[in-house]
Amino acid sequence: MQLLSLALKNVLRYRHRTWVTVLAMAFAGAIMIFYAGLFEGWMGAMETNAVSMEMGEMQIHAQGYRDDPDLYTVIPDYRRVIRQAENSGLIASPRLLGGGLAAAHENSTGVSIRGIDPRAEEQVVLLQNHVFSGSWLSATDAKQVVLGYQLARILDVRPGSEIVLVAQAADGSMANDLFTVQGVLKSVGQGIDRGGLIMGDRDFREFFALPEGVHEIVMKRADNGVLLEQATKKIAELVPDLEVNSWRELQPTLARLLDLSDVSMIIMLLIIYAAVGMLTMNAMLMGVFERIPVFGVMKAVGFSGCRLFGLIFSETLLLVTMAAVLSLALGVPLSYYFERHPIDFSFLLPESSTIAGIAFEPQWYCRVTAGSVVMPVVFLYIVALLAVLYPAWKAAVISPVKAIHHI
Amino acid sequence: MKLHVMALRTLSRNKRRTLITSFSIAFGIFLAVTFTGTGDYSYTSMINTSAVMGLGHISVAAEGYNERPSLSRWLPDMDRVRKKALMIDSVEGAYPRIMGQAMFAAGAKSVGGMFMGIDPVLEKPAHNFFLRSIVEGELFDTVDGRGAVIGVEMAEKLNLRLGKKLIVTVTDKDGELTSELLRISGMFKTGDHDADSSIVLLPLARMQQTLKYGTGGVSFVAVHVDDLRAVNRVRREINGSLTGAGNVEVLTWRQTQADLSGLIAVDRLFNYLMQLLVGLVIAAGIMNTMQMSVLERSREFGIMMAVGMAPGQVVRMVLVESFWLGCLGIVMGIVLTAPWFIYMSETGIDMSSYVGRDYSAGGVLVDPVVKIRLFRESAFFILITVFLLTMAASVYPAIRAGRVLPVDTLKDSTF
Amino acid sequence: MVTKRSMALSVCFFIALHCAVMDPVSAGEDNGRLRAREVLEKIDDLWRSSSSKARLQMEVKTEHYTRTMIMDSWSKGRDMSLVRIVLPLKEKGTVSLKNGNTMYTYLPKTDRVIRLTSGMMMGSWMGSHFTNDDLVKESRLSDDYEPEITFEGIRDGEDIIEFALLPHHDAPVVWGKIVITVRADDYLPVDSLYYDEDMILARTLTFSDVKEMGGRLIPVVLHMVPADKPDEYTELIYLQVDFDIGLPDSLFSIMQLRGM
Repeated sequence: MQLLSLALKNVLRYRHRTWVTVLAMAFAGAIMIFYAGLFEGWMGAMETNAVSMEMGEMQIHAQGYRDDPDLYTVIPDYRRVIRQAENSGLIASPRLLGGGLAAAHENSTGVSIRGIDPRAEEQVVLLQNHVFSGSWLSATDAKQVVLGYQLARILDVRPGSEIVLVAQAADGSMANDLFTVQGVLKSVGQGIDRGGLIMGDRDFREFFALPEGVHEIVMKRADNGVLLEQATKKIAELVPDLEVNSWRELQPTLARLLDLSDVSMIIMLLIIYAAVGMLTMNAMLMGVFERIPVFGVMKAVGFSGCRLFGLIFSETLLLVTMAAVLSLALGVPLSYYFERHPIDFSFLLPESSTIAGIAFEPQWYCRVTAGSVVMPVVFLYIVALLAVLYPAWKAAVISPVKAIHHI
Repeated sequence: MKLHVMALRTLSRNKRRTLITSFSIAFGIFLAVTFTGTGDYSYTSMINTSAVMGLGHISVAAEGYNERPSLSRWLPDMDRVRKKALMIDSVEGAYPRIMGQAMFAAGAKSVGGMFMGIDPVLEKPAHNFFLRSIVEGELFDTVDGRGAVIGVEMAEKLNLRLGKKLIVTVTDKDGELTSELLRISGMFKTGDHDADSSIVLLPLARMQQTLKYGTGGVSFVAVHVDDLRAVNRVRREINGSLTGAGNVEVLTWRQTQADLSGLIAVDRLFNYLMQLLVGLVIAAGIMNTMQMSVLERSREFGIMMAVGMAPGQVVRMVLVESFWLGCLGIVMGIVLTAPWFIYMSETGIDMSSYVGRDYSAGGVLVDPVVKIRLFRESAFFILITVFLLTMAASVYPAIRAGRVLPVDTLKDSTF
Repeated sequence: MVTKRSMALSVCFFIALHCAVMDPVSAGEDNGRLRAREVLEKIDDLWRSSSSKARLQMEVKTEHYTRTMIMDSWSKGRDMSLVRIVLPLKEKGTVSLKNGNTMYTYLPKTDRVIRLTSGMMMGSWMGSHFTNDDLVKESRLSDDYEPEITFEGIRDGEDIIEFALLPHHDAPVVWGKIVITVRADDYLPVDSLYYDEDMILARTLTFSDVKEMGGRLIPVVLHMVPADKPDEYTELIYLQVDFDIGLPDSLFSIMQLRGM
C-alpha cells in the first residue's frame, strides 16, 4: 500500500512523462480495441453475409436432385420436414425450382424460375433487401415476378413491364402465361443476375401444374450459438431419406475463400498487437532506464532492491491502468460508432452487391463484444508488465554508484 | 551541419531507444511492403487471368455488346481495329474473337453453352488461358476448318472423345438457326467448373461463315498490354485511332469485368485501412519516443536557450534528429525486408494445399501461390509515407521543445 | 422448355419422302448406292406431295404423365409446316410454324409469338420425346445422309428393303447412322433406328397399321421409343389426311399465326 502511494506520487510528480507514456499507450490501445471490434465484425459476418443473401445456411433436397435437377424430384411431405426443422431450432423456407423461357418484346432467353413463399423466405434470406428498382414480391399479389439485373437488361424490361413465360409443365403440357415485372434485383451473383426469376409459390404451382412437393428447403439457425455442423447433422438425422447439406458443402470454394479471409484477418490482428506491443515496450523501457540514476540515489539512501522493484511495478501498473481507462474511453465509443454506422463500401460496387460473384451486403460492421474489449486491455497489461521486468530487475540489482553514472 | 552532428550524437547516446524506434519504423516498412506487394501481385495476376479468359485487358466491340452480349451485335472490320491496336505502344497482342451462346449436341445428348471463335494462327497461349489448359489433343490448325476444342466436363456430359463430332447450333445474325458440324481436336481443363462445362473454342472463319458475318466480322477484338498501368492510355489511343468508325466501344477490363474490378477495389480499401491503423500505432510510438527524449532534455534545451540559442534552432534540432531516425529506420527496413522480399517475389508461399488448385474469385481462377510484386510507384510511396510519418510524428515534440521556458526547466531538477 | 415440332407429318413422311430427294447420281458410285437411290426415287414418286393437311392424335407416355392431344397440321414443300392444337382445351389454339430454318410458336393464352433461338432447340416438343432439333434436322435428311441398301429380302415373314443412312462427312447432324426399313412391294416404311456416333441405338421409330387414307396407302400409327427409357413412348396416329390440296405460302407466315 505504501509502495502504491509512493508510486502514485511519482506518477503525479513526473506529469509530463506520465502523460506522454499514457497517451501513446492509450492511443495504441484504442486502435487495438477498434480493430478487435472490426475483427469480430468480420469473422463470421462475411460468412453470414454471403450465406444469408440467398443460399441459406443449409439446404434440403430430395436424393439425386442436386445431381440432376428435375421438376419431378421433389420432397413430397415438405410440411413435415419444415416442422421438424423448426422443432430443432431452425428457420426454414420451401422453394420450388424449374426452368423455362422468358420473352419480352423481341427478346427471349432461358431462365431459372424460383417459386417462394415471400413471408417464409424473408425469414431466412435477404434477397428482398437488394431490389434495384420496383419492389419485392408481396404475399398477396398474383402473377408478379422479380428478376435478376442482367436478365432484365437482356429482356429490356423494367418494373411494370409484361413478360411471357413458357415452360414444360409437370403434366407435359406447354405452360405459358403473362407476368408483370414487380421488381429488378441488384447484381447479387452470376446465377440470379443472368437468369434468375422469382415468383410466388402459388403462381409457380399453377404455372407448372405441380400441386404438391417442393424442390428445396433453405434454412438457417435461429440461434447462431449452435455450431453449423451440429445443426446440419441434427436435421440430417431427422430426415434420413433426404439430402441435407450445409452451405460449406454446397459451396466449398466459397467456404475456403472465406476461411482464407478469416486467416488474413487473424494475421492482421497479430500484427496490430505486435505494433502496440512494440510501442508499449519502448515506452516502458524508456521510462525506467532513463530514471536509473534516480533509482541509484534512492538505493544510496536505503531503499532496498526489492522495494524498488515493487515500486517500478506499481508505477507501471498505475500507468497501464490509466492508459487502459483512456483507451476504453476512446476505443469503445469509436467501435460503437462503427457498429451503428458500418464502413460502407457499396460505392466501390456500383449497382451491385457482389464480390467475386458472391452476394454480399457491402458493409463492414464493427462488433463490440466482451472479447473485443477485454483482450486488448489484458494484452496492454501483459506487454507493459513484461517490458518493465528487465529494467526493473536491473534497477533493483544495480549498485548505487554505477546507477548514478548510468547512461 | 552542427545540428546534424548534435542529432547523431544524441541518437547514438540513447542506443536502445534509437534501436527500438528505428526498428518500429523498419517493421512498418516491412508490413507496408508485404501488404502492398501481395496486393500489387495478386491484383495484377487476377486481372491478367481474367484477361486471358477471352476479353483481354481492353476489348474493342460493337456498341452495346458488353451490355448485352449477343451474336446480333458484331464488329464488321476486325483487321483495321487489330492493325491500329498493334501499332500502339505497350500493346502486346490483339485477337479477333467471336463469343456467343450456342447449343452443343452429340448423339441424343445436348447442352447449352458458349463458344469462342478464334484464329489459331494468331492466338498465343500466353494470351489465351484455354490454349494453355489443353490436356488432350491440340488446337485446330486452320481458321476455316472444322476443329473444336472443348472443356473436359462438357466432353464428359456429351460423351465425346477426340475425333468425335460435335453439332453446334447458333442463331445467326438474321435470327435464323443454323447448325455446323465440328470434330473434337482437343480438350481443355482449366479447373473452373463453369468454363470446363460450358465453353468451346471454334475456328473463327468457320463461325463467321455460319453466322453470316462475312470475313472481318467478329464480336470483339481483345487487346493485351504489357503493363496494366498503360491500359487507360492505350484505350484512349485506340479510341482516337477509330474515330469515325461509328458504333464501336473500347472498354477496359474495369468495365468488362466489373465484378473483378469491385473485388479489387474493396480489397484495396481493406488493405489501406489496415495499413493506416498499423501506421497510426507506429507513428504514436515515434511520437512517444521523441516526446520522451525532448522532455528528458528540457533542462538541456533550457540551458541552450539561456545561452542564446533561438527556439527555432531547438525545433530544427529535434526535427533533424527525427530525420536521422527516419533514415536509420528506412535503412533498417530495407535490410530487414530485402531477403523476405526477394524470397517472396521469386518463390512465394504456395497456398494450394489450403485453398485447393481450382480456386476462383470473381469468376477468375486465382493463382494459389502468394507472391509479392511491388510497382516502383508503390515502393516510393511507402518510403516517402514512412519518412513523412516519422517527421510528422516529431513536429509536436519539436515545437514543445522550442517552447520550453529556460527558467522553468532549470528550476525542475528532475526534469 | 417447350417449343414446337412444326411438322407432325415430318416424322412419318420426311424420312421416306425426303430421303428420296437426292442429288443426281454421280459417276463412280458402287451398285449398292445406285440401287439405293433408284429405290428411294421410286419411294419419292410414290410420296411426292406438294401439300397436305392432316388431323393427328398424339399420345405421350412418360414416367410422370400420360397425355393425349389432337392436332391439325398443314405442310407445303419440305420447308413449310404448321401445327395447331385442337385438344386438350387448355392448349387449344397453340400453333407452331416452321418456315425454312426458323421456328415460331404462337401462344393463344398470352397472345404472343415466340421465335425459337438456339438455346431452345434441345427442348421437348409438346412434352413428347421429340425435340425441336429433330424437326429442323429431319427435313435435311436428304442433304445430310448418304443412303445404302444393307438388306433386301424376307425378314420376319415380310419382303423388305433396309437402308443405312450414313451422314456426309461434314453434315451437321447428331446421328452416326439411321437404319430405315421399308416394305419391298409398296415402299411403305416399317421402322427406323437412330444410332449415335458410337453406333449405340438411341431411339426406335416403328410404323404400323397401314390403311388407305386421303387416297393413299399409309401407315397411320407411328410409335417412338427412346432407347434409354424403354417404358416410355410417343405415338402419333393419323385420323385424317388430304394430299395435294392447294395451300398458299401466306398460310405459313407469322401474320397468320394470330388469326388462326
